[in-house]
Amino acid sequence: MSEGRPATATPAPAELRRVPGPIASGVAPAADAAARELWLAAHFPRLSLEALLPVTGDARALCVIEVNAPRRCLVACNDRAARQGIVVGMGLNTALALVPGLDLRERQPAAEAALLDRLARWALQFTPVVSIEPPQALLAEVRGSLDLCGSAVALCRRAQAGLLAGGLQAGVALAPTPRGALWLARAGIWIAAVRADAMPGLAARLPLSCLEWPADVIETLTGLGIRNVADLVRLPRDGFARRFGPALQDELDEGLGRRRQPRRRHVVPERFDERLELPVEAGSTACLAPATEQLLARLGAFLRARASGLSELRIDLLYREHPPTRVRLGLTRPNGHEGHLRELLRERLAQSRLPAAVVALRFRSGVLLPLSLRGAGLFEQGRAADPEATARLLERLRARLGEDAVFGVCPVPEHRPERAWRIAEPGGATPLPGHWPALRPARPLWMLAEPQPLAGWDGVLVTGPERIESGWWDGHDVRRDYYVALTQGGVRLWIFCERPPGQGWFLHGVFG
Amino acid sequence: MSGALEALLRHPALWRGGGFTDAPATVPTGFRRLDERLPSGGWPLSALIEILVPTAGIGEIRLLIPALRALSTARPDEPRWIAWLGPPHLPYAPALADAGLDPSRTLVIKPRAGLDLLWAMEQALRSGACAAVLGWVGAAGDQALRRLSLAAGEGQSIGFLFRPPFHRSEASPAALRLLLTARDNGLDVEILKSRGGAPARIDSLPIH
Repeated sequence: MSEGRPATATPAPAELRRVPGPIASGVAPAADAAARELWLAAHFPRLSLEALLPVTGDARALCVIEVNAPRRCLVACNDRAARQGIVVGMGLNTALALVPGLDLRERQPAAEAALLDRLARWALQFTPVVSIEPPQALLAEVRGSLDLCGSAVALCRRAQAGLLAGGLQAGVALAPTPRGALWLARAGIWIAAVRADAMPGLAARLPLSCLEWPADVIETLTGLGIRNVADLVRLPRDGFARRFGPALQDELDEGLGRRRQPRRRHVVPERFDERLELPVEAGSTACLAPATEQLLARLGAFLRARASGLSELRIDLLYREHPPTRVRLGLTRPNGHEGHLRELLRERLAQSRLPAAVVALRFRSGVLLPLSLRGAGLFEQGRAADPEATARLLERLRARLGEDAVFGVCPVPEHRPERAWRIAEPGGATPLPGHWPALRPARPLWMLAEPQPLAGWDGVLVTGPERIESGWWDGHDVRRDYYVALTQGGVRLWIFCERPPGQGWFLHGVFG
Repeated sequence: MSGALEALLRHPALWRGGGFTDAPATVPTGFRRLDERLPSGGWPLSALIEILVPTAGIGEIRLLIPALRALSTARPDEPRWIAWLGPPHLPYAPALADAGLDPSRTLVIKPRAGLDLLWAMEQALRSGACAAVLGWVGAAGDQALRRLSLAAGEGQSIGFLFRPPFHRSEASPAALRLLLTARDNGLDVEILKSRGGAPARIDSLPIH
């Protein structure tokens, strides 16, 4: 909605009512800036209860208590407890006196943070700008999603329904400022205020409690006869700032849209970590296929959403009693292709032996890496070497044949023939020196792993000798005379006799 | 300005017609007498070539060296691999370098079991990452060879398959079949089958 549009209050279903116009204010509202933003706030009054798993339902009166507070008090209670007279904020002793069989649970801040984090990820379906407001709320900038949902009210309803389906009690409100939306949600005024200047008009309906200011401040304000935010606005600005500090004045301005409030955006950790409990225990790797398929599909969607690939995937096969089997898939290049991962995984799982029946699977990705896009030719003629193709081939071969079965070779500047080369990573050979080929007689294309004694062979010596004497300093002394020989069968051999002569002939290479 | 244009032209959704060239379907063998007898004058690209050799080492690799050199230097910016699959001995890096083959584009694959050899060769051919795959795969049925042949076409790679000569009487889906015999300082090359060509015999082809 642009500013040119006539500013109307949102049509009100059940709890949404007409929003009155702005009240006069001395400060010019930063209307043009705020109008571009629309914040959805979701407040979870029972988050500390809902974060405690498993959800215990309403069978018993249950309360969550804050242990670290100077006075142990209740921070949340379920419906049954509320019906029996328990009120949030009540002291522990009072509550126990009211309901002797009260089930008390300790508050778990870590679990609450994790739940909020999960909710923030859920909220990413509406907008990429999601921000967590600890300890109990979530903010999301949803201006861009209004058209998607139809209207602001529909968006609120959808968010509320989604949270309810997840078993969460939530207050959802929309406002042009993040703090304003938060106030509305906390106060239980679940409306969609879409006008840029809606907040000052709503101030009269916002009780002081929704500000969540320190208790002594609230007490002082109440003592002054101030009951709601509208009363606060009427106080002289400089006097208020002097008495309660500029921070609270700023908060007030932010909430009413007189001051911009930058929000820290919630960034989803770029890792994939999911666990899947198998519906039926799997005794063989073949039975794991449906579960791996499911996790791979999730992983694929996760990677596609981020246009990323991974370079490492760790798979844990979890058992009831045994320690888990850990499988690691290493990729030479970042890859996000499910099909490729599936193929590698199949080869690797086929090799691993299960000590017991698998009860669960866990996939964990390494660091995500951005994928580079490549253009394909319209006329697939003379295909260019695809760097991905090499990586895929190497990974596939190594997954099935083992790491050692695939390698490269690299020449080494050394006179002793058996030391003039080494095994290298494919593509990892050091570049040849500029003066290659060396000024020396030809070398055979095939080299035997060990020189083999030649017994009773018939052939002729074609060229030679080439004397190689080296290595006296490192204990692998070599003193040999090499010849090229041709057998009756037409095979060209590279043979040598040790010096001093008399130890017979040895075969060292074949010219191929 | 030209930088912006370059960036635009690199966009993956853009196809340019200028890249269309008629790629040659063969690579010269490096031996004039052999080229003359082969259709289109060289080893067929994207095909399976079967080479029957009585004993390993009579010069079958030296026969391929000029072509392998040409293949590995065909695209200096993006060189493809030469894969050696289950070779009778290890390829010797200094000799490869002497012959003009880049050792850093050499891939040696040594699987343990015979079935894995066929599988690995098919993968290497199909991947498109290898310019040529030299394979010593042992026993292989008609169906396996057909798969290799298709894989070579798909990956635009040449598969050289070395087998003993007693397979001569069997039918083969290879595009080209050669029988090599050692002769003095060279090779007798008998073309048993050549797709698009005729059987022929080249006596005493000198190889270096």
